[in-house]
Amino acid sequence: MTEAQLIRRACQGDGPAIRVLYERYAARVYAVVRRIAGDDDLAQDYAQEAWIRAIRALPTFRGDARFSTWLHRIAVNSALQALRKAETRQKREGPMPETIAANPTSGDVLLDERLEQALDQLPVRMRQVLILHDVEGYTHEEIGELLGVAPGTSKSQLFKARGKMRILLQALMAPNGQEEVEAWSI
Amino acid sequence: MEHLTKETLARLVDERPHPEQRDHLASCTVCALELRALRQQTEALGSLPDLRPPPGDWVELEARLMSEGLVDGGGRSNGFSVLLRTGWMQAAAAVILFLGGTSFGAAMSGDVEGAIHDPANARIASVPESVQDAAEAVYNAEQAYQQALVQYGQIERGGRAQNYGELLGRAATLDALLAATQEAVRIAPSDPFFNGLLVNTLAEREQMLRQISSTRDGGWF
Repeated sequence: MTEAQLIRRACQGDGPAIRVLYERYAARVYAVVRRIAGDDDLAQDYAQEAWIRAIRALPTFRGDARFSTWLHRIAVNSALQALRKAETRQKREGPMPETIAANPTSGDVLLDERLEQALDQLPVRMRQVLILHDVEGYTHEEIGELLGVAPGTSKSQLFKARGKMRILLQALMAPNGQEEVEAWSI
Repeated sequence: MEHLTKETLARLVDERPHPEQRDHLASCTVCALELRALRQQTEALGSLPDLRPPPGDWVELEARLMSEGLVDGGGRSNGFSVLLRTGWMQAAAAVILFLGGTSFGAAMSGDVEGAIHDPANARIASVPESVQDAAEAVYNAEQAYQQALVQYGQIERGGRAQNYGELLGRAATLDALLAATQEAVRIAPSDPFFNGLLVNTLAEREQMLRQISSTRDGGWF
């Protein structure tokens, strides 16, 4: 069955079709939402909200963009909106013991874990910009639109975030107060 | 010239350096290495893998989709009267009558809460004596299934299990959900929706058991 057929069926409330779409894109949706949320429990809520919104909005999907792109945008919007609404943030828990990489691509699981940990420790706005730009490949114009800021502000936040990220990674590489090591030496 | 700031170096990941910055980078190993590290960091971020949602995510999402009426389930969720109109209910009821002595799930006893907590006690011996009774039994089974599903979803929404006991509690609830699903399939063996849900529930249960096993082996308690 083609994706277009699946979408048509899902549009009509066909459970198995929705399940297939979920299986296909759940890891993608969860990853972006998890990184924006910076917290496992929040991430699950946000990801589910994103799916609910997407299924509800399916009749408006006209196929101008790829379904994955459309869904990804909904997931990002959903997570950003939820974060805006949240008055207080849960305390960061550091590592993500229950979050499992769906398809490790870098081949360096330890580095991936440290990157995720460092991302979690970034201030919210810096993290959002860094994830949207460096992880998800959004432009500063798109980020500005999503976050309601000027593209220049997005750029400035990105450069600060990269610098901060570098410091956090160095600290994670030398957790026992050892001399700083080259982050990419292991 | 002083070292370039971290923000400047971070900008140079994407942008070309000014002539004086280029000259500095050519002569300063510290800044050159730092820029290289920032580029590698950016590249690594762009290669981060996708992340699997936690176990039980689909079950919970499915419950939410159902509660919001976004899953049709082949018309089942439209209720008893629709089922009667389509004839599906009568066919299912006939199956029940045919099965005769088969035990029925907790759902039919109306004791859904009890079934959730103790699926073993959920069986009752009563067997419908008419098509109408059987039809109501099918309807009750469907309602029980929906409630079990929603309850499991609510438990999952409460957050991740923090210890072995919590995991066992969730597994018990999942067992109740499984029992309700199996009962639904027993009543309507050819219903693709129930069969699909049974497969999903079994998969969730297997995942949960693996988690319990690894937790026990890891000595959480």
